Amino acid sequence: MLDLLLQQAVNGITQGMAYALIALGLTMIFGVQHVINFAHGEFFMLGGLVAALATTVLGLPYVVGVGAALVIVALVAVLVDRLAVRPLLDTADGQSTVLLSTFAVSLLLYQGVLTAWGPNPERVEGLAGVLSLGPISVTYQRVLVLAAGVMLLGLIEWVIRRSLVGKRIRAVAQSAYAARVVGVDVASVRALTFLGAAALAGLTGALVAPISLFSPTMGQHVIINAFVVVVIGGMGSAIGAVVCGLALGILEAELSVVIPQEIGSAIIYALLLVALFVRPQGLFGKVAR
Amino acid sequence: MKKALVATAILCALAPAAWGQSKAPVRIGVINPAKTLVGKQGIQGATIAADLINQGGGILGGRKIELVVYDTNFAPAEGVSAVQRLLTQDDVKIVTGEVSSSVALAVIPVVEAEGALFIATVPKHPDVTKSSYNGIFRLNSTTDMDSASFDAYLTKAVRPGKVAVLAENSDFGRLTIANIKKLFGNKVVYADTYGMQQNDFNAMVTNARASGADMVCIAGSNMEQYGNILRALSDLKFDGKRCIMPGILNSEGVRIAGAAAEGAFSADIYLPTLGNSANAAFVAAYKAKYGNVPEKIELLGFESVTIAAKAMDQAGTATDVKKIADAIRKTTWKTPRGTVHFDASGQAVSGGLIMIGVKNGALAPLGK
Repeated sequence: MLDLLLQQAVNGITQGMAYALIALGLTMIFGVQHVINFAHGEFFMLGGLVAALATTVLGLPYVVGVGAALVIVALVAVLVDRLAVRPLLDTADGQSTVLLSTFAVSLLLYQGVLTAWGPNPERVEGLAGVLSLGPISVTYQRVLVLAAGVMLLGLIEWVIRRSLVGKRIRAVAQSAYAARVVGVDVASVRALTFLGAAALAGLTGALVAPISLFSPTMGQHVIINAFVVVVIGGMGSAIGAVVCGLALGILEAELSVVIPQEIGSAIIYALLLVALFVRPQGLFGKVAR
Repeated sequence: MKKALVATAILCALAPAAWGQSKAPVRIGVINPAKTLVGKQGIQGATIAADLINQGGGILGGRKIELVVYDTNFAPAEGVSAVQRLLTQDDVKIVTGEVSSSVALAVIPVVEAEGALFIATVPKHPDVTKSSYNGIFRLNSTTDMDSASFDAYLTKAVRPGKVAVLAENSDFGRLTIANIKKLFGNKVVYADTYGMQQNDFNAMVTNARASGADMVCIAGSNMEQYGNILRALSDLKFDGKRCIMPGILNSEGVRIAGAAAEGAFSADIYLPTLGNSANAAFVAAYKAKYGNVPEKIELLGFESVTIAAKAMDQAGTATDVKKIADAIRKTTWKTPRGTVHFDASGQAVSGGLIMIGVKNGALAPLGK
């Protein structure tokens, strides 16, 4: 039984890390721009697509696919920011308008990929092989997701807490008006955050695609769990996204040992709903004033 | 003389119009979830059927077949809307296709109300052919028909000691779990369902492995999902037998699963390697147009349009649904899978299943 629980813990941590990375980008954008980016799942999907094109179609090494996913998704994010976010954000009711414009972008990206690529799923060749630790088995690709996740979370934490850019991001997150008064270029900080969050989603898509396959629908599937993690963790809370993402993955896996998987998921979401009644701002969110 | 010239001129003017009217194409409606792979495969099969019939001179004295295709997006409401449009605006009397049983069941009352004919291709739900209306047909085998062949293979040839079942959370998945439990009783040591959007199966597969099962049965129609389950079984070093429930396994699923699919087995009504002239013509035409070999879903799309067109030709009408339905019922059709006839309920019958396995990365017959 202990072996089974340990194996499920490993399964849950790797799955939870993927949840955490996707949710982190979503919550960063909300924290700084106070908008919900409905196109975030499609950035994740585009990362998987670039990795699939690079490795399976063009035969390039996986590491090139991951790098290309990061760069190409960041470029797409620049375009989306310039066309569908920045011009609308400071208009009257701008946050609601951006919600709709990113939803439109999400449909555009999904339908565009569906038209160009078709509905076919595709294998992405990542790291081959399985690491065996006694009774525990975990693929090297999952180890990579875990290691990359830890490094990315550490890097983001360092940037936010220690760097000048991070200070500016925190300043804009607290008050765009006050940040502008003290000379922070708010538009640039917002654009940088949007680009960084999208690049993180693209990178995560490229890391996860060898495990789950690339499919044009992968962004739509993942965004629902990401929204749940962000809301429960606290809108705009980076630590909330990471803790809740990992907790969701581990709870799902461990509960599956004793009860049917889908009932386990329902119980988790019911418990989280109760938590929201107690803390409407989310487990790690701050009370709005 | 002047009157004769005027009459001749009028006749000359009207003749092309009348000729054009008699040669107007016969429209057949095709509904499918067109944005999905399985929907696309069905439409391509139907297209090949129309191509071959048109190349052979058409039906009813030279009328071409024209397909009118609508996307149902796996949504019953969209299916109903598509069928209403086909029957009321597009001059269609025969509708074919669909993958989802829920969509098929939703469109049947519309077909009945409009006095039209529906040939369902993929849906497996038993209620599809339980309508009292005689214009409803189904080409795919049902779960009960599959069980009749496959259960004997499992119990007599495979003979597992303990069985685990991983099934999609749908009517089909839950029905399969119930059937396997009925078949193997307390030999079933683990059974669970997964969501239709789930893509990580390590937790489920870990539980299945820990249950001590020496055979895992997978009941899920989405190749992306069963491909990932096969990969997870391989990653977690499950060394037992892997059974995919009948009618699901195809070469795209095998490609997606890669080496993890090797040795997995299943059963189906069709393999593209069947040796008959109808199959040779179908496979050649499909390969020439789309560059790959067709499989069961393409076959069902092909059969639906072929049977609809030939039945109209036999009945001598493109609009009298009763005559066309009678022609479908009374004929034994030669198709790429062999011969097909329809029972009183409208269900296609074509003999037993072909047992298939994955060998060297390809699907091959296993022998009974």
